[in-house]
Amino acid sequence: MIIKDVVCPFCGCLCDDLDVEVEGQKVIKVQNGCALAEAKFTGSGRLPAPIRRTPTGWDDVSYDDAIRETAEILVAADRPLLYGWSSTHGDAQSMGVHIAELIGGVIDNTSTVCHGPSILAIQEVGHPGCTLGQVKNRADVIVYWGCNPTEAHPRHMSRYTTFATGFFVPEAQKDRTVIVVDTRRTESAEIADEFIRIERGGDYEVLSALRAIVRGKGNVVPKMVAGVSREQLFRVAEICKKAKFGAIFFGLGLTMSAGKYKNVRNAIELTDELNRHTKFTISPLRGHGNVYGSNEVFTWITGYPYAVDFSRGIAFYNPGETTAVDILRRGECDAALIVASDPGAHFPHAAAAHLAKIPTVLIDPHMTATTPLCRIQIPCTIAGIDAEGTAYRMDGVPIRYRKVITSSYPDDADILKKIHDRIREVQGS
Amino acid sequence: MAASIIWYLREFFRPGWLKKFLFAKTAPLTTPPYFRDFPEPTGKPCQHALFCMMVCPAPGAIDVVMEEDGWRPRIHKGHCIRCGLCVEACPNGVLRSGRILETRKAEGTAFIVTFRISIDPDLCTGCGNCATSCPVNKQLDPQIGAGGHSSNDEVIMRVLDGDVHVLHEEKCTGCKTCEVSCPTRAIQIARILEGTQQPQKGGGQ
Repeated sequence: MIIKDVVCPFCGCLCDDLDVEVEGQKVIKVQNGCALAEAKFTGSGRLPAPIRRTPTGWDDVSYDDAIRETAEILVAADRPLLYGWSSTHGDAQSMGVHIAELIGGVIDNTSTVCHGPSILAIQEVGHPGCTLGQVKNRADVIVYWGCNPTEAHPRHMSRYTTFATGFFVPEAQKDRTVIVVDTRRTESAEIADEFIRIERGGDYEVLSALRAIVRGKGNVVPKMVAGVSREQLFRVAEICKKAKFGAIFFGLGLTMSAGKYKNVRNAIELTDELNRHTKFTISPLRGHGNVYGSNEVFTWITGYPYAVDFSRGIAFYNPGETTAVDILRRGECDAALIVASDPGAHFPHAAAAHLAKIPTVLIDPHMTATTPLCRIQIPCTIAGIDAEGTAYRMDGVPIRYRKVITSSYPDDADILKKIHDRIREVQGS
Repeated sequence: MAASIIWYLREFFRPGWLKKFLFAKTAPLTTPPYFRDFPEPTGKPCQHALFCMMVCPAPGAIDVVMEEDGWRPRIHKGHCIRCGLCVEACPNGVLRSGRILETRKAEGTAFIVTFRISIDPDLCTGCGNCATSCPVNKQLDPQIGAGGHSSNDEVIMRVLDGDVHVLHEEKCTGCKTCEVSCPTRAIQIARILEGTQQPQKGGGQ
């Protein structure tokens, strides 16, 4: 059976044009999806049943026992952390926030090690963004700054930017100019019209120099700025000013290098300057399929997009203090619930080491790099493959995940609901 | 010794010999019609088919460049060996040399070219840039240009199972847009040139 118009839940592009061929309870073919989508849909290695660590290895446990024990761990903890959420759907994320409120814990999502600085910058100076449809139909200048869509978002260029035929850019790549800014010559740079190679940590300086040139103060720019020649900066500024519609996309090269949210703020302010000459937008390339959704869900329930601390009885937000890595690194967290993410693979060593010391529960369909750190793992459905739900694309457009196969695994929202109910029972509320 | 010098002078300064040498009446030198000189333009516009570059056996002897009035083949005389294959291969008769064009017409010979698309699945990320940018694909399926989603199997290539797959190699025109659109250099177009001869009137080959 071929199911059409399936949404890929892997990255923030949320491509919704896949044709998936299903045989029984298995996906056997994926058409139109990239290599990442193909691996996501046809991947194996799912954990068959909940497991609990013993002194010598692992024991299988029932879902009820695993859920009961998880609730007990969370209720007994003084400073529990609920982390992850970006690879599941909105219902599970919402249930996570309710559990955090119930136990007075800290809830954080993967933005904290990803585009968290972008959110801080946006909170300072706003977000002149737009949907990917606008970029596809209008943008004749595309800038990829500190990101490599070829590897992380393979279909971004063919679906939304460079190679897509747009209403006002009918000749696609012939009508568009692509600028790639990075510290190394990435695959994306190979197909760029202009590649700006900057020294590591030089983003802020280069952005400031471009702002000065666009503002008409180019005489203050020295011969070289962080490894970029003055001539190239003037050339790029001219390309941007002459654009009919420009779009900047940025990645972790900007948010996680020296300067962090100040880099993003500077990039937004460069976009602001460019809007004095033409139309320009800026958007982050979001990683996990529904990371934008976790920011949305957290915001509409708590008022804050990530790093929300309920220990005071109210929602409190202070990135740097209430962010997952900082809580773990300081060693103040005494229990953790990890859902739909893999901190074992992504967190700094000190934070991951602390996760291994405390009772950590993982709700994830697969055995991951976090499995060796946890005490209990509860397998669940994969949102977008055997569970449906709502996700948000990297530009904030909500898209409904489709369920393409039926499995015997419970939905993570149902597991979390049972944990929530059990906590209420234990608390007697 | 002296006798031998005199002997030589007598031998080489014979009046008859000198007269023949200085006042020889030979036929003037003319270039025969079958002589293949360096290829010259015929004035017909170059269509950028690049058959000349494909067939040329001498490295660096010919390239096709964009000039103010369009594409133009450029011969590098230091490298050209005047074999005339470029003249014979050009489907648009842009170059001439000797009697090559006339012979080609009389004998009904031609070069036909096909294209082979090779994809390295280890390098291919399935991004769809090649399938989306291919001008032939865009004609065969207007949807594919608008985001990489193909609605039919008439296209040259489309993404299946995470890699791009070639469905209709025979439709390729060899423009190499896919090659320059590929960030990982996973797709490559090889041109295959083949000599043919039309059947002569009267049944002969």
